[in-house]
Amino acid sequence: MALSEDRLRAILAWVVIALIGGPVLGAVLLGVLHGDSPCILCWAERIGMVLIALVGLFVVRYGPRPRYLGVALLLGVWGVYMSLRHSALHVARDVGQGFSAPILGVHTYIWALVIYVTALAVIGVLLLFVRDLRPAEGPRETGRAGRFATGLFVVVVAANALQAFASTGPPPWFGQGDPVRLSWNPKHWVWSFEELDPPYVSLRGSWTIPRPDPSVADPDPAHGPLAGLPVLGVSGWERIGAPLAGAVSGFARDSVTGRYLVTTDRWGVALLDSSMSRVLHRVVLDPGFSVDLSPLVGAAFLGGDTLAVVSDNKSWALLRPDPRAAERAEWRHFLSWDGQVTEVGLGRFQTVRAHQMYVRSLAFDPAAQELVTVSVPNPRHHQLVVSRFARGDMVASSEFEPRTAADLKLAAGRSLADYFVTGAAVDGGRLYAVSAAYSTLLAIDLRDRTLRGAWAVPGLAHPVGVAVWGAQLLIAQSDGGIAVVPKPAP
Amino acid sequence: MEFLTLLVILWAAWLLWRRPERERLAFLLLVIACLLMAIGFFIGSHGSLVPGVNL
Repeated sequence: MALSEDRLRAILAWVVIALIGGPVLGAVLLGVLHGDSPCILCWAERIGMVLIALVGLFVVRYGPRPRYLGVALLLGVWGVYMSLRHSALHVARDVGQGFSAPILGVHTYIWALVIYVTALAVIGVLLLFVRDLRPAEGPRETGRAGRFATGLFVVVVAANALQAFASTGPPPWFGQGDPVRLSWNPKHWVWSFEELDPPYVSLRGSWTIPRPDPSVADPDPAHGPLAGLPVLGVSGWERIGAPLAGAVSGFARDSVTGRYLVTTDRWGVALLDSSMSRVLHRVVLDPGFSVDLSPLVGAAFLGGDTLAVVSDNKSWALLRPDPRAAERAEWRHFLSWDGQVTEVGLGRFQTVRAHQMYVRSLAFDPAAQELVTVSVPNPRHHQLVVSRFARGDMVASSEFEPRTAADLKLAAGRSLADYFVTGAAVDGGRLYAVSAAYSTLLAIDLRDRTLRGAWAVPGLAHPVGVAVWGAQLLIAQSDGGIAVVPKPAP
Repeated sequence: MEFLTLLVILWAAWLLWRRPERERLAFLLLVIACLLMAIGFFIGSHGSLVPGVNL
């Protein structure tokens, strides 16, 4: 079955009637009857539909010229992009949450995707059956359907223009990201440039988060946000004697067995004996399957034989020494394996307050049975967030930004987020966190969420972890050196 | 700017209806309206071409 040009134009007239009389008119009625007011993205999507209908009218008037087809396809593709881009703002919200009025349980930005995909499909189907694309020169008579489509188009677009005048204003004003309900009372009209505040252009917008780099942190305690800190002198230096393939990136000590857990910057995980000179087990995690493990930055003992490591993107892995581990099951987990370690879990920490923030530390609170991470600041989020995750299901149980005790004074214009925590350990309800920036040890009371003490630790170079050993703290550096400092009294 | 874009579209539709011999002008208005619409969306998305998701 082939479509003649006249038949094609008649069908297109009805397509225009359906598009204009359906979603475009319906959107205006939503505004008039229910006060619905489109945001700036909705306006672009609605106008895109109007433009596709206008191209249809061009074909009705002049025949199917190639440039009309080109514009229609471009509009369809752009519309699909717009609706996907727009929907992405909302589709990941919690159940029942969306933006503006749903139609048949579906919000308008999702309907826009359906409409644009349908428009492209209709174009494709019509092209399948069209006989040729060599229209004669000059305009044609549009016929009854064409005249009706054109008249309806003018009326509906004029109604849209009226609504646009009220809700977005005449040029140079334009639509808003968070509009108010439609009103015909001029005193409620919002004509603004709020979408240009702030006026930034970026490929990824707020998701442009650089990876944290502790090596550029200023190690001088005198430059820190807390002035006049007491000095916690290094009482001795130890060293990880066992050979490690890569720089140390995480460090923990098991208070029961005295063993150490070390991660390296190349996804290596090593369980060391109590002298740090012998490797008991060593594996290299496969960072690519199926959870994306960025460089490992923290380690913790979770009690028993369970070992936890975390990467800076808050992905985690749980490991356990197991002399009966089966290669067939474990090959997929490790790039390198000593034959006696099992991966018992792999996942991602989900945070809210620390969203879009990387971490550089991991600790375990045995009393609360919670894992603890501390966020590091970035150009978009200047916060220090302590996140806690239940050991049972690894889901967030609380997050907070620590308060500062009254006897600790922040310098003017400074905050705790100026610190860059690269190692953490919990002991007696306190979170000891070492900051690569300003070589400072922080003690945060986990019960009242307050920074209770801070000490300058001069001489540290690239600290990557903290461990508690009786009355002492061990601060590991990336080069394998261990600074021994007295544990500050509560 | 949405108001202006819709006025441009109305102008193009009027040309189709009442002055069909002005096809070139009508098509130029169609292209201008497309650009205005795309710019409006670009402003509304703050120039962030990729949505707030991991790539």
